[in-house]
Amino acid sequence: MIHSLNKHVRMLTAGAALSLILMAGAPAFAETPADTLVEGWAIDDIITMDPGEAFELSTAEVTANTYSYLVRLDLNDTSKIVGDLAESWTVSDDGLTYTFKLKPDLKFASGNPVTAEDVAYSFERVVKLDKSPAFILTQFGLTGDNVTEKAKATDAGTFTFTVDKAYAPSFVLNCLTATVGAVVDKKLVLEHVAAVTPSDEYKYDNDFGNEWLKTGYAGSGAFKMREWRANEVVVMERNDNYYGEKAPLARVIYRHMKESSGQRLALEAGDIDVARNLEPGDFDAVSKNTDLATTNAPKGTVYYFSLNQKNANLAKPEVAEAFKYLVDYDAIGSTLIKGIGDIHQTFLPKGVLGELDENPYKLDVAKAKELLAKAGLADGFSVTMDVRNTQPITGVAESIQQTLAQANIKLEIIPGDGKQTLTKYRARTHDIYIGQWGQDYFDPNSNAETFTVNPDNSDEGKNKTLAWRNTWDVPKEWTEESKAALLEKDATKRAEMYKDLQKKVLEKSPFVIVFQQTEVAGFRGNLKGFKLGPSFDTNYVFTVSKD
Amino acid sequence: MSEIRQATPRATPMTRREWLMSDRPQSRLQARLGRAYMTWQRFSANKLAVAGLCIILLLILIAIFADVLAPHSPVIGNLGGARLLPPGSEGYLLGSDDQGRDILSRLLHGSRLTLLVIVLVAIIAAPIGLLVGAVSGYAGGWVDAVLMRITDIFLAFPKLVLALAFVAAMGPGIENAILAIAITSWPPYARIARAETLTVRNSDYIAAVRLMGASPFRIVLRHVMPMCVSSLIVRVTLDMAGIILTAAGLGFLGLGAQPPLPEWGAMIASGRRFILDQWWVATMPGIAILIVSLGFNLLGDGLRDALDPRESGQ
Repeated sequence: MIHSLNKHVRMLTAGAALSLILMAGAPAFAETPADTLVEGWAIDDIITMDPGEAFELSTAEVTANTYSYLVRLDLNDTSKIVGDLAESWTVSDDGLTYTFKLKPDLKFASGNPVTAEDVAYSFERVVKLDKSPAFILTQFGLTGDNVTEKAKATDAGTFTFTVDKAYAPSFVLNCLTATVGAVVDKKLVLEHVAAVTPSDEYKYDNDFGNEWLKTGYAGSGAFKMREWRANEVVVMERNDNYYGEKAPLARVIYRHMKESSGQRLALEAGDIDVARNLEPGDFDAVSKNTDLATTNAPKGTVYYFSLNQKNANLAKPEVAEAFKYLVDYDAIGSTLIKGIGDIHQTFLPKGVLGELDENPYKLDVAKAKELLAKAGLADGFSVTMDVRNTQPITGVAESIQQTLAQANIKLEIIPGDGKQTLTKYRARTHDIYIGQWGQDYFDPNSNAETFTVNPDNSDEGKNKTLAWRNTWDVPKEWTEESKAALLEKDATKRAEMYKDLQKKVLEKSPFVIVFQQTEVAGFRGNLKGFKLGPSFDTNYVFTVSKD
Repeated sequence: MSEIRQATPRATPMTRREWLMSDRPQSRLQARLGRAYMTWQRFSANKLAVAGLCIILLLILIAIFADVLAPHSPVIGNLGGARLLPPGSEGYLLGSDDQGRDILSRLLHGSRLTLLVIVLVAIIAAPIGLLVGAVSGYAGGWVDAVLMRITDIFLAFPKLVLALAFVAAMGPGIENAILAIAITSWPPYARIARAETLTVRNSDYIAAVRLMGASPFRIVLRHVMPMCVSSLIVRVTLDMAGIILTAAGLGFLGLGAQPPLPEWGAMIASGRRFILDQWWVATMPGIAILIVSLGFNLLGDGLRDALDPRESGQ
């Protein structure tokens, strides 16, 4: 009967057969190796891999998976701390000296033993290099001159750390979980230090391995970092010298992919196992795909807008309150930031000690109009807002523009890139600024300080907190309370103090906090144990396995 | 009496057509109208050109009656209840965008911005180009050299890049976008006006006017410029599509109209993020830009044929 088929039909059948073959072959090409995890992620923020200098989100994650710390956050309850290299620790009665006992028989990936000497050296190089994240350690009174005294090894297994004030122990320990707390292999780094001519700014004769560690690795984590090629890839391999449970996978690869849609297509095709930068629309599509799964975790970044108190209209307390009633929180939460954020109106993100989960404000135009009338602005006014040209910020800003218009406030949006808007913000020349604030380290003080401390409100002020940037003269008692919380030893009492501060800021401040960022990821269905942590320092990949 | 009536059928008043087509016009007005009528005849014979004209007239009507035609507010949306609805949803004929605004209403109101840009650019750029070109062509010598080198400098940059630079310097916004486009689009007009001027500056009628004692200013204004106008009109009309695209391009890059203004280019930019799943958000304004640009191109083509003196037969 074949002969009776005409030419067209034959071509069609041949075509169909050919496409069948192609379709059957395609998944086999695309699948990633069974012992390798491939993540698609925008890693263009990486500048260096040196834990003493790196202060980016991507490096926080890579460092957390490749280095060990003295202590880490307890993933079951992030207001608590668990030992990593440290087996136990004690705080002296005066609250100034912390003594850490290391676990026995620890080894670096290089095979060198981990001793208290290495810990002391790690502290020393962070303080002496004095790069951007160094303040996390130097705020405890460490300087280049005293660091070898204040952070030292008393014997091979004991490390003591002396701080300048009796801080809350939770604060000190939380700071040690940041990237700067990573312990480097002293012996290995010393083999690679480069000589430097001392100058007035930099008094030391070597670079503490900073140049080599830019792409090098000297850690003891579950994975070794084998390679980082800028804007291309980060490759990590299993560390067989790791003291803890060995990672199930032999290799983890972060592939640089910038676009959400590109990540989604690669994930659907099986070219990558995890997509890390999905936008709401793509995230929705991934969560509907039965071959794929999704996960999310709230992150320590809050999105807010703030009113510069230099503007006479915005300085009126009724106006600030009216703005809090002029945001359509419900609609924003269910649309613009669906999946990538949760409405959150207090300054401490969920998951941090002392968080206050209260969202009292709702869109209420009538109430806002009443408040504006009380302030003598019943007819509204015009005001500008500096908006960074990225989503979801522009979307949220446009939504706020619409709701403000209902109360006769004419909002003009001034778009710009991150650098333009931030420069204006830091110079205090904006009217309204909308943007995000991420915690510098996983402790309530990071946000409490920036939102409630402003010792010098003049343009020359040295402490450039967010309160200062908005020319907000914070009531003295609030600043005092924030500083007192830093020294409160009892963690429960400390949490209460932060809750009280948050209530005050919620009620009377020029900050309108809208939502907290949620990090999302889509991943292939055959992955097991893939989870996102509460911070980028806790996005662990050494628990992941494949079916 | 009856004989006379029958005998003079040819002497009855001329039909309007005959009066217009007369090759012995009795007055200046008659001559002008006659010429306009012939141009219209040639123009209306071109069906595509008429279609282009209809599109532009429709655009103008829509811009005038946008308030009446638009079913929703173009700037205030229903974020919670009507976000990213597909075309054909109840009350949202062309769907809604990411802020829950009706795309149809935004397109209708956006036509005003489009017209505003076109009209303002045309009335800023065309006279500048005409003046520079006519003066340069008539004066010659170093005036010509200086003016034409300035024109060359402007022509040395791609239009969009130059417009981008101006907007970046002056700050984003629809007014600055219009200014930037106008600043960057006059040089071709100057070139055309200069070329036309060169062809007429040595003709007899100019010599006659000069002999009668007319000042150079008067000659350029009254006797040279009118000769350049028709080719300039054609060129401006053909450029309109380019102007719309440049304005849309600036809007797309975030340098043109600012939110919440329903500028078509900015609408495409905001819809780009949804192109995989909600194609209509970026597509609808794209179609609008396509139709209007096409309309201006068709109109411009028709006008060129109609206004070309070589084909006018007179």
